Amino acid sequence: MGVLRYVAKRLGLYLAVLFIGLTITFMLPRLMPINPVDGYIGQLQSRANGTLTSEAIAEMRTNLEQLYGLNGDIFTQYVSYLKRVVLQFDFGPSFTYYPQPVSAMILNALPWTLGLLLTATFIAWVLGNMVGLVAGYFHKKRAASVLEFLGILLYPIPYYILAVTVLLLLAYIFPIFPLSPTFPVGQMTPEKIGMIFYNSLLPGITLVLAGFGWNILSMKALAVATTEEPYVTYARLKGASNWTRMTRYVFRNALLPQVTALALSLGMVFNGALLTEMIFSYPGIGLIMRTAATGGDYNVLYGAITLSIIAVATAGLVIDLIYPLLDPRIRHK
Amino acid sequence: MIRLNDLKISYRIGSRVIDAVDGVSLTIPEGCIVGIAGESGSGKSTLMKAIYGDIQAPMYISRGSIDYGFNGSDGRPVTTANIRDEWFKTISYVPQSSMNSLNPVVRIGKQFTDFPGTDRDKKRVLDRATAFLGKLGLPPEVMTSYPHQLSGGMRQRVMIGLATFFQPGLIIADEPTTALDVVVQKEILMLLMELQEEMNNTILVVSHDMGVHFQVTHKMLIMYAGKVVEYGDTDSVFADPQHAYTKMLIDSLPTIGDDSMRGVIASTAGAGGDRAFGVGTGLVEVKPNHFVSLAKETAGVPA
Repeated sequence: MGVLRYVAKRLGLYLAVLFIGLTITFMLPRLMPINPVDGYIGQLQSRANGTLTSEAIAEMRTNLEQLYGLNGDIFTQYVSYLKRVVLQFDFGPSFTYYPQPVSAMILNALPWTLGLLLTATFIAWVLGNMVGLVAGYFHKKRAASVLEFLGILLYPIPYYILAVTVLLLLAYIFPIFPLSPTFPVGQMTPEKIGMIFYNSLLPGITLVLAGFGWNILSMKALAVATTEEPYVTYARLKGASNWTRMTRYVFRNALLPQVTALALSLGMVFNGALLTEMIFSYPGIGLIMRTAATGGDYNVLYGAITLSIIAVATAGLVIDLIYPLLDPRIRHK
Repeated sequence: MIRLNDLKISYRIGSRVIDAVDGVSLTIPEGCIVGIAGESGSGKSTLMKAIYGDIQAPMYISRGSIDYGFNGSDGRPVTTANIRDEWFKTISYVPQSSMNSLNPVVRIGKQFTDFPGTDRDKKRVLDRATAFLGKLGLPPEVMTSYPHQLSGGMRQRVMIGLATFFQPGLIIADEPTTALDVVVQKEILMLLMELQEEMNNTILVVSHDMGVHFQVTHKMLIMYAGKVVEYGDTDSVFADPQHAYTKMLIDSLPTIGDDSMRGVIASTAGAGGDRAFGVGTGLVEVKPNHFVSLAKETAGVPA
């Protein structure tokens, strides 16, 4: 009973967050003083050297407003917007790649971004936590500070510098990886999959390196604090081995905040996607977002932002659902 | 029988050496509860750590030795060097902070099986532990509970259960009832006494509470400034304290109905004020089984 109620409550909260997020994304552009339809018509007018008649313009305006769901008062627009987004995941066509629908563009790019970023974030998290745990548990030993140094060294490097350095090093000076990789599309064959994997290694390595440092430092700090807890001292006095104490006592307890951090960073993958995909010309959401931002492609931006909102909210939901499994104190509340 | 031979325990901090326990020689007979009292910094905990064998940098034994006088689970005599293998087999420990000495994310049952002292057959250990906790007045559900689901008293019962489960010859209890309310405190102490009578082992109880010592212990050990000032049968120590520090400790116990302390500032009344007591090394037996430190008291003389 308790479990059902807990899950229902979290799901309700999740839907509420999504609803509020969608409402804000709907409202914000409408509060802006510029009108994309006017802008678009202005562009066409100047391209046609002002030869468009006012009837043609009026017709074009109705068509455009129809196309982008801008007709009617704001409430009608809002309802039709929610209906389209929620029921059909339809954001209309892209401006730049007219008439390709935004949802199709996003769905094509999504597996690329998720495949690369989720894997890299997860690997960085696992490695960082392992290194951080050892560094924190043995913090009194000289050798452990070498591990911590790794974190201190990596963490403050801005991602773009790290990425460009790695690219320069491993693709230009030592050409192990291609400088401008190609990512085949269409029917997947084992060769193509191998190629994708190989070409994704470089962006993957930079992402792991970038996320690694923070995870080491964070886990190290948590592990140091946990080692001082009375239950760890008591375990030592019970004669429990270093391994038991490190894994079952320190790790299990220090892990809890790190799970939150993991879920949050998984929710933020689309932010990380932007730079990575630009630098490594990787065909994911980030690249689409960048093209859309420079080309004023509102519908695509809408779609990408909505996706980010869904990702962050889903990550929150996942933490809420997983956390009770890890921490009995929440389970029994 | 545990014999401390001119034991000196020091801490090395940088180039400085601090002697926390300085020249303690005494014999603790088997099968009795020994209470250890003394102010903070008097060396009680350091002495307990040394007897328990938890000696790690910066702490070290700078002189003397501890003879345990009993054999370990493998038949070898226990010494300071091998006592770690005997933890929770023939010697065990009840910590001070029972409230957070249990791993919060692991069920109680599992905490009975996660150390080397336990049998490989987890199921058998769990069954025996459930039965054992039952004897201590804990329902079987405790084994599948998490620490936060138990009250402070139940948790301390679990700690005592863990310490006594293997029927060790020696138990060290470091302020086992400090965090508990007086009613639970009494229950826990009674339990400890019952178990001691049943197993007839030696228990060392550190406490600041002279009332606890009077009720529970057979022998009293009073420490001051790293030295033993008085050691003897509890009745004798309470009836006729020899050293001024012991007298002060016993007098500091508030009694119901005595309001003479009201409105008096503690330090002027002499309760825990900054006094210095003369303590020498070596004990002299003033009565049968009642020892007091050699140097004649310079009690009450302000430093």
